[in-house]
Amino acid sequence: MNSSNPTLAPLFSFLEYTLTTAQTTFDKLPGSAVILRYVKSSHQNDPGRTLLELILVIFAIRTLLQSRTRADRTGKHFIQFSEKEIDELVDEWTPEPLAQPLPTTEAADLAAVPVIAGANGVKPKLLSTGKTATNLASFNFANLQGNEHIKQRAIETLRKYGLGSCGPPGFYGTLDVHMDLENDIADFLGTEAAILYSQGFSTVSSVIPAFCKRGDIIVADRAVNFAIQKGIQISRSTVRWFDHNDLKSLEDVLISVEKERKKRRGPLTRRFIVTEGIFQKDGAMVDLPKLIELKYKYKYRLILDESYSFGSVGRTGRGLTEVYNVPASKVDMLLGSCAIGLSAAGGFCAGSRNVVDHQRINGPSFVFSASMPALLAVSASEGINILRNTPSIFETLQENVRAARAILDRVECITIPSHPASPVIHIYVKQQYPGLLSPVPMSASLSASSTSSKQHHSLHSAKDVARESARAAEYLVEERLLQEVVDETLAQGVIVTRAKRLPGQEIVEPRPSIRLALTSGLTRKETERAVTVLKGVLVKVLGKRR
Amino acid sequence: MPFNSPLPSPMAISKPAQSSSIFKKRSSNSVGSLPASAASYLSALSQADASARKRSSGASATSTPALSLSSSITSSSEDTVLHEADYLDDPHLASNKDGLLLPSRPPTSEQVFTTVHTEFGHCAEEKYRTTSQHKLGTPLAPHVTQDPPYYILLSTYISYLILIVLGHVRDFVGKRLSPASYKHLMPRDSGWRPQLYMPHLRPSPSGYAPLNSDFDSFYTRRLKTRMDECFSQPVTGVAGRTILLLDRMSPDFNHTQLLTGGKTRALNISSYNYLGFAQGRGGCADMVEESIKRYGISSLASRLEGGSTDLHTISEALVAKFVGMEDALISSMGFATNSTIIPALVGKGCLVISDEFNHASIRFGTRISGAHVRMFKHNDMESLESLLKEVISQGQPKTHRPWKKILVIVEGLYSMEGTLVNLPVVVELKKKYKFYLYVDEAHSIGALGPHGRGVADYFAIDPKSIDILMGTFTKSFGAAGGYIAGSKTIIDRLRVHGHTGPYAEAMTPPVLTQVVASMASIMGIKFPTEAPSSRLTSATHMIEEEYHHPGPIPASALPSWINLPPALASGSEGSSRLRRLAFNSRYLHNGLIKLGFITYGHPSSPIVPLLLFNPGKMNMFHRLMKDRQTPIIVVVVAYPATPLVTSRVRFCVSAAHTKEDVDTVLKACDEIGDVLDLKHGLPKKERWSIEEIMSKAVQLGTSA
Repeated sequence: MNSSNPTLAPLFSFLEYTLTTAQTTFDKLPGSAVILRYVKSSHQNDPGRTLLELILVIFAIRTLLQSRTRADRTGKHFIQFSEKEIDELVDEWTPEPLAQPLPTTEAADLAAVPVIAGANGVKPKLLSTGKTATNLASFNFANLQGNEHIKQRAIETLRKYGLGSCGPPGFYGTLDVHMDLENDIADFLGTEAAILYSQGFSTVSSVIPAFCKRGDIIVADRAVNFAIQKGIQISRSTVRWFDHNDLKSLEDVLISVEKERKKRRGPLTRRFIVTEGIFQKDGAMVDLPKLIELKYKYKYRLILDESYSFGSVGRTGRGLTEVYNVPASKVDMLLGSCAIGLSAAGGFCAGSRNVVDHQRINGPSFVFSASMPALLAVSASEGINILRNTPSIFETLQENVRAARAILDRVECITIPSHPASPVIHIYVKQQYPGLLSPVPMSASLSASSTSSKQHHSLHSAKDVARESARAAEYLVEERLLQEVVDETLAQGVIVTRAKRLPGQEIVEPRPSIRLALTSGLTRKETERAVTVLKGVLVKVLGKRR
Repeated sequence: MPFNSPLPSPMAISKPAQSSSIFKKRSSNSVGSLPASAASYLSALSQADASARKRSSGASATSTPALSLSSSITSSSEDTVLHEADYLDDPHLASNKDGLLLPSRPPTSEQVFTTVHTEFGHCAEEKYRTTSQHKLGTPLAPHVTQDPPYYILLSTYISYLILIVLGHVRDFVGKRLSPASYKHLMPRDSGWRPQLYMPHLRPSPSGYAPLNSDFDSFYTRRLKTRMDECFSQPVTGVAGRTILLLDRMSPDFNHTQLLTGGKTRALNISSYNYLGFAQGRGGCADMVEESIKRYGISSLASRLEGGSTDLHTISEALVAKFVGMEDALISSMGFATNSTIIPALVGKGCLVISDEFNHASIRFGTRISGAHVRMFKHNDMESLESLLKEVISQGQPKTHRPWKKILVIVEGLYSMEGTLVNLPVVVELKKKYKFYLYVDEAHSIGALGPHGRGVADYFAIDPKSIDILMGTFTKSFGAAGGYIAGSKTIIDRLRVHGHTGPYAEAMTPPVLTQVVASMASIMGIKFPTEAPSSRLTSATHMIEEEYHHPGPIPASALPSWINLPPALASGSEGSSRLRRLAFNSRYLHNGLIKLGFITYGHPSSPIVPLLLFNPGKMNMFHRLMKDRQTPIIVVVVAYPATPLVTSRVRFCVSAAHTKEDVDTVLKACDEIGDVLDLKHGLPKKERWSIEEIMSKAVQLGTSA
């Protein structure tokens, strides 16, 4: 005892000193008296509470200090490994190859894609044979490609602006020619404003996520094109599908959504109908006046992708709104492609000023991408000028469409799902066993329940699975037949193409088809001759099958 | 329903004929009233056509003066200093008051410049050149982010706090006092009365949810609008060394921007024109003109559906050769290259490990791929390695099955940071952890490396040790679009299974030609007649280099009609551009550091971010730079593109800039930096004066 006293004495004095200093500093702090009084009184009343509060404080500090990113490591699924075990696991792991070689059919198809030597157009030269062929494959509705005036203007623009814009629109990439083209489009369609994207394909997959957010409702056609599917996917909105081009089914879905909303009494969310003017997958045309009526009745906003109808139908190529005499301003977001409709590049979204300005900040592929080269924008502006001044273009085009359909409609072994006025014509092989191949029924029963894209793939019964595999097998056969038709037709000097798809990535596997895109650059005679060649091959190849 | 601004739009002002369009009139008359009937709509269309016809036929020269320059093409092709005739009409632009029009030193008789000075600066001084190359055997210096003094941080946070509080107060008061201005943020009825159009329909009481919620748009409305002056500035002409701004002003606190009709020439240190190929004149532009004549404007369809031309095949082979891979594919938009190709590489059961600062297009692509995503700290190789250990040992979440494949996506040069990926370490890690490596060279291709082949060239790493090289043509090549390069198996698969192959429009011939011409002039062309000599030079090249370098491209690999002037064809101009860019980047970067600024990034990077911190200084900096006697335009970026506190200016150096141009920028920064209190880097004693920096430019520009 005695011996320990001298050694402990300085410690005690130090402790006492620290305590008093701590107390005086604590007293000096503003508000410390209040805390002290609170602690004292609460401790007096209920000593247990002090302990509880202390634990609370410690817990709060722990939560604050805890790293948020490492949450996975403490999760219940995390397994602790030693360094050695990790090394062994790393050594053991063998990844799949990054890409499997293409299956032979796909490789052959890729090799069979015709390559054009020199300018593409109505009668391009093929690289393989060196001969010219009639082109019924590429989008050149108004035959703006190769127009000397456009070329001249493009060259002038090149000399003034160079080629690339070298910047996104936000940072010195907005050229006056872009603004002119936006004005031209808005003026041409009759909307308040328009916004320009630098690739047609990326337009809609950027427009949808700019407006549709998590919790919003999208009602979309089941056969919308791939870009729309991706836009819907990235928007994370709730999706309801309606049967392809069936506005009755659309109304059913709209009613069921409305019912659900009333039942849930949720807050008002944004609701959109997404569909296409002329469908990329089969050339069908939507009944726009009816669609507009439904949209107003149920208070939806309409996103209409006119990529394949802008610059291809209507008296002057203004698209569906012109065909049906509907003011374009009734469509909230009207999308089109300058690449397809105007033989230039890029896409646009036309709408009210609010709609357009919103995209200037929120459209991912507008904000994060360099703006379109100036000469392409000028070419598109010139294209619009030509369209609005020469209605004869679309008279010729319609005449060609009628001529082609007159020939094709009489062919026994095919069916054509496209609208009679659509210059994009899809050709299906006529089903041998119609019962088997009627489109997989995913109508009322499925769409009434919440049909997310995932549920689409889950098939209910063994019967459906069998049906699905039979369908896949049949599609494969059809695809081979059609490819044979394409190759044979090419050999006879007419370029047509199978509608290329991304098997396994689409929401609904589209039926194999041959896609024609007619042009006003060919005369009626030439179109007839080319389509007759196709008809001959179709009859020969498909007839062989029987 | 339509939002009717009381003022005409800025676009309407720029083109007076447009504002008289009947559509604008109609929409302003018909707010909430009867919509145009179908018949009147059709007649409106034809009226619009008529007025457009009148516009284009009658007064084309006056309505689009900016484009009537056919005379200038022939008249002034000799003159490389002043060429655009319509600038001569404008005394303000033709005078050299801003010092941008004429080179500071008149050329001597033996110096011949083939470029236009305003597009690509004249600089004959061989000493202002250096090589962009990593010193072999040394590790990449870790990137230190310098912190500003505490008062700066504190004031930055307080500024944002004030802005947010003020914004909310204004929203609160505004919604009550002038609900009309907040109409677009409130649920509302359509304003369109269906019972007039279709009498059988009754308007239902519930309306439309607002198109953008006021919470989501708060940042845009209350913070970004305040500095809208810095964004979306319309320009005209070539985005070269200088650029022509279309002057604008806002009468209503940036809600609308009106073009005043004037133009200002400014020094352009903002465009991604790294090698200065944004030119309206010169060999590349001549080739593009030739291609328009030969190929027209468009390729008319997607690659797989009849849009493939021989030019596509040639360009893809050339790109593959340029980046040193087996094969390549070209996509018509840079953003879409990432966003449509990544989903074809990875899917369910795969893991994407992504740098936290990766570009939005990469995030877009990974999100639609369905793969699992993990992020690692920006360029932090330890963080990457520990993450790799974790994910490989743990396997897929919950099931613990091994990952099918792991794809690590990094950028060669980060567009907001100016940092280089630590490629040597990543490649080392790749050997050990067997992941696949995807390098996005959007900014680094052409801009880095002794041969301009990007970040692999810079570090002298064999590009084949990387699985996928992605890049864009927008930046160094002055074109548009992007490419993916890799092994033939991978690329063929992507051609068929990537979204672009079947669906997206193929790249247009003029753009392809710009790519071919600029790329060939970087590589140099080997003509069959002089084969022995060029083989000799390529042989000596190979001894110097670590990996087999393809050397100049044989002329047979290019379209037969490509005919570049000797300086471009020999590759001498290409290499001079690379060396100028390397010098300018280092000079600006090191100069700013010596002046005392906080900068981020690697000195070799042409992207030089200068830290501003306070949001209020962004506007000020932008304005002060633009209003100088030699106007300089800059890009200012803030949250959400950067972390909240580190608002910055981003300079993009170009080979088109002369040393004097960089001096001008440094001088301006020096003065403005003092005014705005931006110099928080080097302590005062170690700083250099601007004169010292300018005189020691060679030392600064060639040191690493």
